[in-house]
Order: sequence, then structure tokens, then C-alpha cells
Amino acid sequence: MNFSVVTSEFWSLCLQGLALGLIYSLIALGYTMVYGVLRLINFANSEVFMIGTFAVLVVQVNLLHHDVTSQPIHGFALAKALILSLFGAMIVCALLAMLVELVAYRRLRLHGSSRLASLISAIGTSIFLSEGMRNLTNSRPQTTPRLLEKTSLGTIWGANLRIDTIITIVAAIIIFLALDQFVNRSRLGKAIRAVSMSEENSRLMGINLNKVITLTFAIGGLTTGAAAFFYATVYENTIFNVGFNLGIAAFTAAVLGGIGNIRGAFYGGIALGLLEQFASAVLGSQWKAVTVFIVLVLVLLVKPSGIFGEAVQQTRT
Amino acid sequence: MNKNSKRVLAVVAASALAFGTVVTSQANAAVKEVTLMFQGPLTGPDAQLGQDQLPGAVYAISIYNATNPKVKIKLEKADSQCDGTVAANIAPGVAANKKVIGVIGTSCSGEAKNSFPSYKPAGLTMISPSATNVDLSNPKSKSNGFPIFHRVVPFDSTQAVVLAKVAAKEVASPKFYIVDDQTTYGKPLCDDVKLTAKKIGTIVGTDSVPKLTNDYSSVASKVKAAGANSVIYCGYQTDGAKFVKALRDSGSTAVFAAGDGVNTSDFPSLAGAAGEGVRLTAPDVPFDLLVSKTELAAFTKATSVKVPGLYVTSTYDATNIYISCIKAGKLTRAGIQSCVAGGSFKGVGGGTIKFDRYGDLTGGAPVGEFVVKGGVIKYLGGVNG
Repeated sequence: MNFSVVTSEFWSLCLQGLALGLIYSLIALGYTMVYGVLRLINFANSEVFMIGTFAVLVVQVNLLHHDVTSQPIHGFALAKALILSLFGAMIVCALLAMLVELVAYRRLRLHGSSRLASLISAIGTSIFLSEGMRNLTNSRPQTTPRLLEKTSLGTIWGANLRIDTIITIVAAIIIFLALDQFVNRSRLGKAIRAVSMSEENSRLMGINLNKVITLTFAIGGLTTGAAAFFYATVYENTIFNVGFNLGIAAFTAAVLGGIGNIRGAFYGGIALGLLEQFASAVLGSQWKAVTVFIVLVLVLLVKPSGIFGEAVQQTRT
Repeated sequence: MNKNSKRVLAVVAASALAFGTVVTSQANAAVKEVTLMFQGPLTGPDAQLGQDQLPGAVYAISIYNATNPKVKIKLEKADSQCDGTVAANIAPGVAANKKVIGVIGTSCSGEAKNSFPSYKPAGLTMISPSATNVDLSNPKSKSNGFPIFHRVVPFDSTQAVVLAKVAAKEVASPKFYIVDDQTTYGKPLCDDVKLTAKKIGTIVGTDSVPKLTNDYSSVASKVKAAGANSVIYCGYQTDGAKFVKALRDSGSTAVFAAGDGVNTSDFPSLAGAAGEGVRLTAPDVPFDLLVSKTELAAFTKATSVKVPGLYVTSTYDATNIYISCIKAGKLTRAGIQSCVAGGSFKGVGGGTIKFDRYGDLTGGAPVGEFVVKGGVIKYLGGVNG
């Protein structure tokens, strides 16, 4: 065990853990939103994330004509590239998530199929997307161009405030707060919460179920697309199975926080990111996954519905 | 159609069939064909390793087939993705294909280990251009490839010594941080590196990061905290690129050195600016340094590859060993095995290739030192282990 690294690099590990954790949080929001409304684990969400990272690549390489040898850009060109990449990934992921709902889940739901059928459909969709991308890319890793120079904005308690890390942390918090407010305060948000409490009563109250469910998938796609953009910006790589590990981590974060609970997904992601960083630093990277899952099991033993989850299985804020 | 017409038609058809068969069998007798299988990663995260090697086999076979020999060679490809699990799945099919008389491969050590259970009972000879794990030819190891396994490169114990020396070059009081990727290739290589690193410097930290990890920032933090001035990575290029990027982004200026798993032609583009100055080793001498300009042009014509990548030399040599045996009339698996195991062959570099009882080169070979400069990998010369 190496505790000296915790004392000397504590704040660096915190910042890195926070950035990674917030990427998990954004993906976890995709899982939790859908679960809250449909009681369905949308396993295809990890592949929606994967497609999002490739959307960033396409925007930056094919649309904006940058490549791995390009020098970082600045000013308006940088802002344009980042905004286009972010919105490109969010829109692609939202559309894909809506398509997944329409093709893989809606018919099953309308025909009253069992949840098991939906689960298999989710896994099938996930495999279809992943293997499709494997064939398109020959399983080869892709590198996204470094458009944003990873300069330091300064140091705080010895930790380097790297611009990509800070952008990820600030933007992810803003996205979460916006989503939280939307679900809490808007009419559509109320409709989502109503459907999560009772589909039948919502229908009787005149809520268009299909519309609300599609909207929920779209919102999940938007946050997952944002996660894909931040991932590509910080780590600058992707591969057909990039969603697998990150998807498992995000799903774990959602369960840790309390699946179906938006704030739970958010804090669960942060907790997981920090836990991974510190476990890796103290125990060695080979023990990271083991530690994370031991903690998950322990938390679920004490609080079966997750840290923020309640016995009521509904989208709460 | 009356009865007579039917009889005539039947006779004509039978004659045509018989004539066709005779012509075909005569053609078969004139030119026979045997198959060599190239096995390595052609897709997947480590695809560049196999894609760099394959042209060596293509070129050697194209030269041979162009001489209009009585026995032509067909090259087939088995893509085991540098993944032992994939290799275990495809090896039985390769072994069952009776046309295959020899395997050029595997590229990776894990692939080799998991292919042995299929190739040993089938008597299918392997000559690897790059599988360097010590156990593959260690008589004390349960996972050795005796008697079918051979390799035209020195094993990891030799490379490990050179890798540690290269990582310490021009570094005052080397403080090593050594990281492996937990694979059949990476972990033993790093275990051997540690033996030399202890003698020439201090090991200030070690880590074992699973292959295909996305986030290397915590490892980079540990390197900084340990005060390391030289980092040695034993793994493959995709993760090597992620690691060196995270290291440079953390502000570390420590030397970054890695073995042949990272030394693929796509590494500089995967690592970008962070890859500049990365020190690499490989038991290989670049093909373009060993052949004339005319031969290089012929290589490019045959393979469409302008700059030969890593292990073209060893793949070319491995293929030529089979070609020598085929020229000597060894057209069965058993014949190939006895020819390869007992023969003496000439390498493209001019040296003699001969295998010991367990498939290693007799006499060994130097390990090459490389550096990434200007976005390309440059060969600096051979270093003795």
C-alpha cells in the first residue's frame, strides 16, 4: 500500500477523480432516467456513449478537418470546434437513444411483453451497435485530435488545474443542475415524474405516455452525448468497446447512488470516480475494480436501494 | 428425344467429364500448392503489429512464386488479434486445415500459448517473428511450445536488459517507475526489467494496469509522487500512448521507455506530441536498412508498403525458412518440422539462423534501440543484452 501518494497528490487525485466521476455521472443519468420511467436497464446506453465518442471524432476530423497531427487551436476556432463537437455528440446520442426506444422497446411495451423480453432486447441492441462499430473500424482504436491545449490555469494546494479537467467539471455540474431543474420545475419534467410514479394514472390524467418516454430517452441521450464529448476531450481516444467499461462503471454509479434517482446517479458517479482514483493510487491499479465492487456490495448490504435511493422506486430529485 | 439421341448425349457427357478430370489432374500434377498461415493481430487494438509484419511474408512468398516453382505457396491469414482467447478459438480450425503446413506466427506470446494445444497434436510447426515470452521455449515451463515452436528473435530476458539500459541512458541516478499491462507479454517482460533496473538504478515504484484501461491519470500522479525520472512500460501501443499522454499532461518530464509491444508504426500518431522522445526497443533491425534500394522498391511494389514496419525482417526470415524447406521437397507437416528444427538458414541480414532444441536462436541476437523523433520511429542501433 502506498499512502505517501495520497498525502503528496491528494488534490490532484481529487480533481482527476471528480472529472472522471462526473463523466460517469452523465452516463449514469442516462441509465437512471430510463429506469425511473420504464423500470428497464437500458444496456444500450453504453453503446450510445460509444457512438457519441465517434460522433465527436467525425465532427472534428471529417467536418472540421483536423487530425491527430493538427496543432491545438485557439480563440473563436476553438470555441466553434468544441461547441460543434459537444452539440454534435449530444444530438447524435439523443437521436440514437430515441431510435433505440422506438425500435427495441416500444413494440414490446405496447404489447405488454415481459421485462425480461425488454432486457434481452436491450442487450441485443447493445451488441448490435458495438459489433457494427467493430466491423466499421476493424476493431482499431481511434485517436481524437487535440484541439484544446491542455494548459494549466494555475495550481491549488499543489494540484494542477488543467483546463480540460476544469471544463469537464464545471460543464458537467451545469448540465446536471439544468436537468435537475428541468425535471423538478418544467411541465414536461412533471410529466416524467408522473409517469415514473404510475403509468396508468398518468394516462388517465391525459399525459401522452409515448411522448414522455421518448423524451426521457432523448434526455438520457443528451447527457450521455455530453459525457462522450468530455471523455473524448480529456482522454482523446475511442474504440468500438469503449462503452463497455465506462458503461459498467456508470451503471455501478447509478446503483451506488440509487437507481432511478437523478441526484443519486450524480453523486454515485462522483463517489465512484474518486474511489477508483484513490484505490488505484493506494492499492495499485490492479486492485481498482476489486475495491470498487467490494464497496458497492458493502453499500448495498447496508442500504439496498443505494446511498440516495429510497424504498420507493421512482424518479426522485 | 429418342432413345439413340439420349445414348449419344450420355456418352458425350461422360467423355467430357472424363476429359475434364484428366486435364484437371494433369494441371494439379504440374503445379502443386501448399499453404502457409500467417497468424497474428490483423484487426483489434494491436492490429498494427500484425499489419506491420504481414508484408514481410507477402514479399518473401511473392519472390518465390515469381520463379514459377513446381510447388507454389499460398499465404492465408488467421487474425487472432493478439488475444489468447481469440487464438484458442481459431487455432483448432487452422490445425484442422490439412493444406496448412506451417504457421508464420504468432505475433504475440499469449496467442502462441493458447495455440499450442491445437498445433502440438497436429504437428504444425510455428516460426514466430515476435513472440518473445521466455516461457514459450522454457523446458521447465508447462506452457512451452516444444517441439513445434520456434522464433527468429531473442526472448524477453534479453530485451529486458536492453530496455532497462535504454531507459537509464543519460539519466543521472535513474529512479525507475515500472508499469506492466498484466498480459502474458507485459508482466514477465517487466519482471525481467526489474532485475536489471535494480542493478543500474533504484526502482521507486511499480504498478500493474490492466490492458485497455481508459484512465492513466492516477498512475501518472503516482509517478510524480515517487519522483521517478525514468518510466518503463511493458505493454502494447494503444495503452502505451494513453499512458504517455497522461504522464506528459500531468507535467512529468521523466524518460518514457517501452518494449516492442509499443514499437509499432501507429504509436507516434496515437501518442501525438506526447510520443516525441519516447525510447523503444525491439529485437529487430529495420528491413530497409538491410536491403538494397532495388529490393526495397520491389518490396513496395509487392506489398504497397513504402516504409517497412517493425518485424518485417523477422517475418521475412521466418517465411524464407519455410520456403527453403519447401524447395528441399518438404511438403508435409512432419517434413517441415524436421527441416526447420534441424536446418541452418540464411537471414536477410546475412547471419545464420539455427534453432536450439526448444526453438530459440542459437547464439542469440542484439536488441535494437529506437526513438520517436519527428512523428516517426527511428532506429539508433543494436545493443547487446
